[in-house]
Amino acid sequence: MPSFWSLSFTVAIAGLIALTSCGNASTTNNTASPAASPSTVASPTSTTETAAHNHSSGKQININTAILSELDKLEAKLGIPALSNKIQASRPYGSPEELVTKKVISQEQYDQVKDMVTIQDVVLTGEAKDVDYMTKLGLMKGHLLVARELLDQQKPDQAEPHIGHPVEEIYVDVEDQLKERNVKEFKTTLISLQDLVKSKPKDASVKTSFTQSTEAVDAAIQALPETQRQSPKFVLQTINGLLDAANAEYGAAIANGKISAAIEYQDSRGFVNYADTLYKGIADKMVKENPEAHKAIADSMTQLKTAWPTAIPPAAPVKTPEEVNQLIKTIEKNAQTAIAKS
Amino acid sequence: MPKNPLLLLQQGKPLSRRKLLALGLAGVGVTGAALAGGNALRLALPGLNKKQTQPVRVPPVASDISVDPSGVNPMTVLRDFDYGTIKQENGRKIREFRIVAENSMLQLNSAVSFNTWTFNERVPGPTLRAKEGDRIRVLFLNQGGHSHSMHFHGFHRSEMDGVRPVRHGAATIYEFDAEPFGVHLYHCHTEPVTRHIGKGLYGMFIIDPPESRPPADEMVLMMAGYDVDEDRKNELYAFNGLPDYYMMHPIQIYQNQLIRLYVLNMIEFDVAATFHLHANMFQVYRTGRTLTPTEETDVITMGTAERHILEFSFRYPGKYMFHPHQDQMAEHGCMGQFEVIGSA
Repeated sequence: MPSFWSLSFTVAIAGLIALTSCGNASTTNNTASPAASPSTVASPTSTTETAAHNHSSGKQININTAILSELDKLEAKLGIPALSNKIQASRPYGSPEELVTKKVISQEQYDQVKDMVTIQDVVLTGEAKDVDYMTKLGLMKGHLLVARELLDQQKPDQAEPHIGHPVEEIYVDVEDQLKERNVKEFKTTLISLQDLVKSKPKDASVKTSFTQSTEAVDAAIQALPETQRQSPKFVLQTINGLLDAANAEYGAAIANGKISAAIEYQDSRGFVNYADTLYKGIADKMVKENPEAHKAIADSMTQLKTAWPTAIPPAAPVKTPEEVNQLIKTIEKNAQTAIAKS
Repeated sequence: MPKNPLLLLQQGKPLSRRKLLALGLAGVGVTGAALAGGNALRLALPGLNKKQTQPVRVPPVASDISVDPSGVNPMTVLRDFDYGTIKQENGRKIREFRIVAENSMLQLNSAVSFNTWTFNERVPGPTLRAKEGDRIRVLFLNQGGHSHSMHFHGFHRSEMDGVRPVRHGAATIYEFDAEPFGVHLYHCHTEPVTRHIGKGLYGMFIIDPPESRPPADEMVLMMAGYDVDEDRKNELYAFNGLPDYYMMHPIQIYQNQLIRLYVLNMIEFDVAATFHLHANMFQVYRTGRTLTPTEETDVITMGTAERHILEFSFRYPGKYMFHPHQDQMAEHGCMGQFEVIGSA
């Protein structure tokens, strides 16, 4: 499949003409009303504060939500191999002290890092914030990639959930940052497309509207500095996030050795395809800087992609969820090695 | 990985009726003696129902019930109440629950397997139970791939409303006071909600009144629909997760024993369903918000997410069906029966 999407600039989609302006910009309000807090944990009222600190400085890591590369700071400080994965695997935490009670680390080790960890709201800053932002936009890209394939195959009914997911599941988590990144809101654009595909799937304006949504997500990605978008360390963190979601979705697609939930198969296809596109963008640098990790990642990626031969699921899965999990873990491990080196 | 339903009895919980059965301690037809069914039932209510007036008699649950490979067993769900873990913080009691959203496979009948989305590896999710005024803390981890959330019915601040999607791999904490007393529910509120609930992300949330209700054989019945082929219509229906289960495995109850049903309609796509009980009348406590019955009937209509407490007892031994009187739902799995056992 040719890759139309590069991170550096949007290419008009083959088969989708983006010349006519869309006279159908509906201003429907989305029903999902996001809470005001920027992260998932809203702090309870002060009388029952669970932690001594209410607002963390940017240095603190929320052990319930942090991505692996954030947790790596704890791993590095304590010098415990694979600690990040262990912290992730023992979620959820009711308090930072549960790192000890859940036997993730010892009391002595906890004492060394206790000022670095929290379960309170953390306003992400710096690279962690950018990786989080890019990962969410990457998930949107994955959804739209597979939606486009299904639209091209005249399957608007199957494309519809993937057009819905960006706005239903993800948008609220990047919304707060758009202003400061000088990105125009694009919820209206996404919802207009969803409305159109739901009610007039055969309408010619679907193509125009789809192009607008794609361009909006691309523009949001463009808001990140180019150096970051081309940095292997940065891109690998995003890839890990995408593949982690793909892994869970692929498992949720299969029952009794059959692909029984097409939506989850397609979700995971989109995420893997976009992760692959991102990796191609940094492959040259990886060859130079991390040849061993590159070989392992490129080989696993090639094998991984065979699990999704077509947008419409095959009758029988090409790979078992266990095989997919194994390949994704291999990529993750090698990516972590490369990230740690850079 | 599928779990033995007995593992649902987490450490730190008092021995429940089923645990006793597993240990072979419970006999048939026990009365209110030391390890009797009735006492066992209330032993499992820490901090609630301390006062005991008369023994509640619950027939031993057959231990040879075949369990679905997914580990979901409606007989387990029926009388299983999760009171969480009690913690003391700043002089206040906190009831803490830990919930993980994951994916698993459920064999709905011999022909149909279905990919479910689960709270704590079961459909429906655990029945969470507290007393009015308790501080509730829910540690929620999403391992489901999709974004999910937990939205509780009842009073709480907007930050705790659980409409904000929690991304895959992340955990969040919901904390609020349990109020008002009644039968409530929780469910994933990520769009499309029809699909997230239809895949199994729902459960009951019972808040007991400050003055406990009279002792009874208490059980939960949740009606749900399964849209197996994703056409936004239900092909199968079920009580407590599995179609027709209680037809094949009748719920045994004793003659003249007060039965308290916590009933919830969680059927998506169909506007309403009734709950009908054969050969009897039941007292209705609408939404569980009253301590005295609000009406008496043998068929009650519930829109999606409506729920009530129903009380009755059976005069005569024998088998008695219950089902929604939208009969096509009954014919497609929403069917069950009580087996009334005569007093020896």
